[in-house]
Amino acid sequence: MSAVLLWHDFQPGQSLGEITQVFDTEHSAAWQQIFGSTVDGKAAEGASIAVAMMMRGYLGVVTPRPPGNVHARQRFTLHALPAQGEAIRTEVSCAGKEIKRERRYVDLQVRGTGTDGRPLYDGVLSLIWAA
Amino acid sequence: MITSLHPVALAVTMDVIRTYAVLTDDFNPIHVDPAFAATTPMGGCIAHGTLSIALLWQSLFRTLGDNAAGRVDLDVRFVKPVYAGDTLHAGGELLPGGSWAVWVRGGDAMDRITGTARLAPSKELA
Repeated sequence: MSAVLLWHDFQPGQSLGEITQVFDTEHSAAWQQIFGSTVDGKAAEGASIAVAMMMRGYLGVVTPRPPGNVHARQRFTLHALPAQGEAIRTEVSCAGKEIKRERRYVDLQVRGTGTDGRPLYDGVLSLIWAA
Repeated sequence: MITSLHPVALAVTMDVIRTYAVLTDDFNPIHVDPAFAATTPMGGCIAHGTLSIALLWQSLFRTLGDNAAGRVDLDVRFVKPVYAGDTLHAGGELLPGGSWAVWVRGGDAMDRITGTARLAPSKELA
């Protein structure tokens, strides 16, 4: 067995796991440290937090990864803005994989839901897998 | 009729990259360790790809307002890495049919990410 997840290990359709994280004040503080206050509106912050939670979900579930993976494409549907204090469950599955121009591509489907299962986001990370 | 997105900019410093690493819990050394990154084909620290998406959200919602956030379909490709020290500019143009061509460009005016966004407005935010 390999020490890291290899391209060969991914099976399209396979569930890879899920993780639940709470959108807390530290997330907002980090976002505001980069982009400033949200006096003009909360949507940009909320949408960014949704993407950050998607990434946290992917990184928390799909591990250990080989060094050198490249994020090539991102499809992302925002259904609703997450609320501060909301527990966000992210499920990750393998949507597909292929080899193009000698590069190993993996598509990972992510789905985020909040309180009472309300849909927050769906996405597909297209990654060039390093090994 | 609005046909272009409000341009927004962000200076990508190592502090910004480290703070975004906290937000995403992504401390990959290619992002946060200059000594390690220098040994890779990238030759230096690069920002997380989704940092550029965060800048795109700023451009979209500053232009269209928070109520545009009912449902958003975003499809972007990361076409070039963003290095620490770069200054990003995000914007976009309205396409026939109502979608937006969106982009994030570096200080050299070359694309870093490109794609499309489609927004269906909502009257209420979460």
